[in-house]
Amino acid sequence: MKKRLLALTLGVSMAAGMLTGCGGSGDAPADAPAADAGTEAPAADAGTDAPAADSAAAGEFDWKAYEGTELDVLFSEHTYADAVEAKLADFEALTGIKVNYSSMPEGNYFDKLNVELTSHSGTPDVFMTGAYQSWEYASAGNLEPLENYISDASLTNPDYNYDDFIPGVIDALKWDCVPGHAVGAGSQWALPMGWEVNILTYNKRILGENNLEAPKTAEELLEVSKALHEFNGSGTYGLAVRGLPDWGTIHPAYMSMYSTWGAKDFEVVDGKLVSQVDSPEAIAMTEYWVELVKEGGAPQWSTYGWELAGADLGAGKAAMMWDADRGGYTQNVAGASAESGNLAFGTIPYPETAGKTEADMKSNLWTWSMAMNADSSKKEAAWYFMQYFTGPEFMLWSGTEGACTDTPRQSVLDSDEYKAAVADAEGYFEAFNTVKETASIFFTPQPYFSETTTEWAKTLQELVVGNKYSSVEEAMKELKQTMDAIVSDLDVE
Amino acid sequence: MNNGKKRLGYAAQNVLLIVYAVFALFPLIWMLIISLKSDAQVFTTTFVFTPTLANYKEVLLRSDYTSYMIDSLIISGGAVVVSVLVGVPAAYALARYNFHRKEDLAFQILSFKFAPEILVVLPLFMIYQKLGLYDTYLGLIWVYQLISMPLLIWVVRGYFEDISVEIEYAAQVDGYTWYQIFFKMLVPLIKPGLVSAALLAFIFAWNSFTFPLILAGRDIQPITVAITKYLGTDTAHYGQLAVAATVSAVPAMIFALCIQKHLVRGLSFGAVKG
Repeated sequence: MKKRLLALTLGVSMAAGMLTGCGGSGDAPADAPAADAGTEAPAADAGTDAPAADSAAAGEFDWKAYEGTELDVLFSEHTYADAVEAKLADFEALTGIKVNYSSMPEGNYFDKLNVELTSHSGTPDVFMTGAYQSWEYASAGNLEPLENYISDASLTNPDYNYDDFIPGVIDALKWDCVPGHAVGAGSQWALPMGWEVNILTYNKRILGENNLEAPKTAEELLEVSKALHEFNGSGTYGLAVRGLPDWGTIHPAYMSMYSTWGAKDFEVVDGKLVSQVDSPEAIAMTEYWVELVKEGGAPQWSTYGWELAGADLGAGKAAMMWDADRGGYTQNVAGASAESGNLAFGTIPYPETAGKTEADMKSNLWTWSMAMNADSSKKEAAWYFMQYFTGPEFMLWSGTEGACTDTPRQSVLDSDEYKAAVADAEGYFEAFNTVKETASIFFTPQPYFSETTTEWAKTLQELVVGNKYSSVEEAMKELKQTMDAIVSDLDVE
Repeated sequence: MNNGKKRLGYAAQNVLLIVYAVFALFPLIWMLIISLKSDAQVFTTTFVFTPTLANYKEVLLRSDYTSYMIDSLIISGGAVVVSVLVGVPAAYALARYNFHRKEDLAFQILSFKFAPEILVVLPLFMIYQKLGLYDTYLGLIWVYQLISMPLLIWVVRGYFEDISVEIEYAAQVDGYTWYQIFFKMLVPLIKPGLVSAALLAFIFAWNSFTFPLILAGRDIQPITVAITKYLGTDTAHYGQLAVAATVSAVPAMIFALCIQKHLVRGLSFGAVKG
């Protein structure tokens, strides 16, 4: 009797598990259904509750066209989200659209968002996403393609100026949903709210007191990081970088150096994605990275996310940090940290021994962006929200007064107000301007991004703090097999 | 000689108890210290401590902390009340009556605790959206029964089983009705177990994270979900996070202190059967 009941309980649990798994975005087929949606005119999906669709149909853009509609917006807590929240009342007054806004910390945000999208409940109408996550969501059919909205004169403000977006950033959010195909072509899945380049931030005071120059090459970075080991007693160290066993460890500094070194994550071979993490460049770069973290990194590196890395830099515990420009910038704002005013910005340390020069510098970028739920029943109103909060007027305000200094719009970057706003951060404007030319997403787009990069980060942890592998080469060869197995069901054309 | 040995033994016991107390309380003390430090002092490599109430002012006066606490109190308190109202009669039935597949039913109730929350939350989310229970107090109190009810039923059932059925018969002979027996005699006898089980259920409900994260989080935000807001967006405000965590532990501590005498008796009651 008990056995039968146990079997029944297990059966129900497994069925629930299968239900969860089947809906998961990670299992999405390669022939993404949403890719076809891009060819549909947006009006075809018009929400039935759009009260003033007539004016839109007549071809005149009218901010009041969807007056009375209620939108659900879910954001991750961030400076970009704070800026949107600060101007919600202005948007509601202009459009008559009511916004039910909620936000939560990044750690919980994607858990909640994944459940909402997987359930196809239609909420939230608009949400925040990163480019990497958009590959999974687009493949699963959760994202509404935006190009038809952008090009529809009846739905888009004539002052929107889509071409004003910095090409590297806006292209990072385009993809044709074919695993292995680079970003930059295909549907526009999201619009950037802000973006981050991963550059070196250093403490002028600490480097000066130790008679050290800010490093420009990878070799100098290693040397300076080693020299700064316990520069001010136990616990102080040279370089703060992330070390948690998740994708967040791979994408900022590690991927920037990896790409600058000339290594790639995947190549398409015979219609399949094949991991390249065991290439000579990848192994050489990882050997360098392991030495850098061991000799110059935080003692508890494996527990470090962006919060701890930034906090250590601000507290003067770390002399340098290689992470998002935003992390260093906010620590440098007057009164924000013990070392505010002492921080300055460099670019990407390039490996001279690998024959690289400044021209080879590559910063892997991250962009927080706004996307529309494909299941939303209020798509036009959602588009109004998106265009308002990615429009030039709002972005000039958020880039200068709203603390969103890493603006995705060239017009904001060129404005005198912006230059004045970032003048206190030494080298920031120059670094941002230099790196933006070559910054891009250097990961190969594919829907198993989280899984492959998590395995990658775990391998890095093993190499730095574990003793599983006798060499970096052995570890990277094993990682290659793991990554190949994860993406084995993806067909590239 | 013996006295000397005894004194030495007491001294050793006390030293060990002090060491254990420091070990057990250190995380709480450390959290309290961080809550009284400025952000700049949290990350210093040497111990610098200039107490400040700035974090407390920021969290308690300039944020919605009170409303998060009220949400938590309503949901956790409501869940425990429902569990007691439904669970005590259920525990009595499982303890006293013999019916077909009784043990299977009891095991089934316990098995609600087995399923990882994340495993069942997606279907629950879809059902809640359809029923209009999403982001409501009622919805959360209902789903919290998965956390609080099995614990309460199993603990209280044990207490009912420890009470001799002859006591009930004696009361019946004296002319008491079943309801009088239940409320005037049995409930006072199981009270120690009931309050200790209710306290544990309250703590488990208070600490629940996955259910309120997925099934609420817009209008209703219990403290477990809201607490990470204090970490900040661009930099880590560990001081504010420590304040939020410290204050959130207070209701459970007050609850535990209020029922302390029942708690100690409740946890040891029935340990030795005659």
